[in-house]
Amino acid sequence: MELFTPDFGLVFWMFVTVVVMCVILGKFAWPYIIKSMGDRADLIDKGVLYAQEAKEQLDNAKSEADKFILEAKKQQSEILREAARMKAQIIEEAKEAASVEAQKVMDAAKVAIEQERKEAELQFRNEVSSFAIRIAEKLLRERMADNKAQSQLVEKLLDEIETKN
Amino acid sequence: MKRVLAIFMIVVATVVLPATVKASGDNQEEINPQEIIFHHLGDAYGWEVPFSHEYRIPLPIIVNDNAGKWHVFSSARLSEGGTFADGGAEYKIATGGDYSGKVVQVLADGSEYRPCDISITKDVCALFIASLLVAWMAFALVRFYKKNGMKAPRRGMGAAEMLVDFIYTGVLKDSLKEKAPKYAGYLLTVFFLIFFMNLLGLIVIFPGGANLTGNIAVTLVLAVCTFVITNVKGNKHYWKDIFWPDVPLWLKFPLPIMPLIEVFGMFTKPAALCIRLFANMMGGHMIVIVLTLLIFIFAKFGAAVLSVTTVVSMAFSLFMLLLDVLISFIQAYVFTMLSTLFISLAVCGGGEEEKKVTA
Repeated sequence: MELFTPDFGLVFWMFVTVVVMCVILGKFAWPYIIKSMGDRADLIDKGVLYAQEAKEQLDNAKSEADKFILEAKKQQSEILREAARMKAQIIEEAKEAASVEAQKVMDAAKVAIEQERKEAELQFRNEVSSFAIRIAEKLLRERMADNKAQSQLVEKLLDEIETKN
Repeated sequence: MKRVLAIFMIVVATVVLPATVKASGDNQEEINPQEIIFHHLGDAYGWEVPFSHEYRIPLPIIVNDNAGKWHVFSSARLSEGGTFADGGAEYKIATGGDYSGKVVQVLADGSEYRPCDISITKDVCALFIASLLVAWMAFALVRFYKKNGMKAPRRGMGAAEMLVDFIYTGVLKDSLKEKAPKYAGYLLTVFFLIFFMNLLGLIVIFPGGANLTGNIAVTLVLAVCTFVITNVKGNKHYWKDIFWPDVPLWLKFPLPIMPLIEVFGMFTKPAALCIRLFANMMGGHMIVIVLTLLIFIFAKFGAAVLSVTTVVSMAFSLFMLLLDVLISFIQAYVFTMLSTLFISLAVCGGGEEEKKVTA
């Protein structure tokens, strides 16, 4: 049975071939192939991870943006409210200031008017008194046109002074 | 259209093929199936080409004669039972006796001397072709990576890469863990060598057709390699398991029953590897040849029997060949897987829980 007895030549060549192949392929081919496949697998894994993270970030960004918008809206309404409040306050203050100013002006006017009035009164009195004096002078002149009357008056005045004393 | 073509082919097969067989068989002597089978399964000094029994591709014969001198000459010089004298030594291919079919030296007294023969026979040549194919495949992949960086290979290269990945991550990484790269050189090479040799064996004409993995010399070398690696690289735990296994004391102390069994197991494991691959591949080849031979055996029973046999045996041999493609892969895979397992048991045991193997 030739089939069951190993032939030396074939054993020899088989051994040589296996050893040579193992050395060559084991040194130059398989490690490189395995490394390349591993590297590629790592790269793909990294890519998938990156994509997942990016998607997560995108989702986060969306919700974050929503949050920001909400915040902004809140702030906006707050600012508007604040503005309205301030407007009211300013108006109020302005009103107050205006009324104070008006009061001041009115007071000043009152004082001025009073002064005017007093002055006018004084003037009026002066004038009235000067009128009265003039009138009295005129009257006196008319009535005192004669000496008799004059002496009468002097008499009378003297009398008066005497009675008073 | 395809169906019509298929039917036409079957009709042609049933009608024409038997006729040619009949015609060629008429003027030939009775066929000897056993001889044909062993001729096809065995080794040869030349490589037959299709449709010719006479012409063979000559291969170099390398022999060391009884005087210790090397002789190299073409196998074509020994064809047709001729003798060839090279530097005082006369050679011929023995036709009978212990060295039937081998190159022998005819000594001066007429006796036959079997020289040390490391000829590049058909099997050796097929082995070289398979090795070159494996190397070409591996280096094509390496070149692809060097050229294309991180790109994934497509088509044939993708398939080759997938196979490497399948064996490396599926088999080696699983059993050997971090030691996988260290043994990848041997195990991957062995897987691809066996796989390519198996497949080449299924191709009937020139680059293939050699029943390599169905030759016990080839499987023996592979099994011995696994055996040597297992025992050379075996760690303390491996040797302790052999000579002082974890069994009750009476099983190993006065009479070393278990150690004996374990030592025996050391040899049976690689022997099983050797025989499994050899028997599977040889069996596959043999079945296909026998199925084909049936046609010629039944040829003498008349045209009708011949036609039926032709169709049936062709269908069966086609089926068997397809099955052999599957077996080619499975056997290469099994050999690699078991080698990995034996090596991993020898080098990785101790630290972790060990798996029980029944191979």
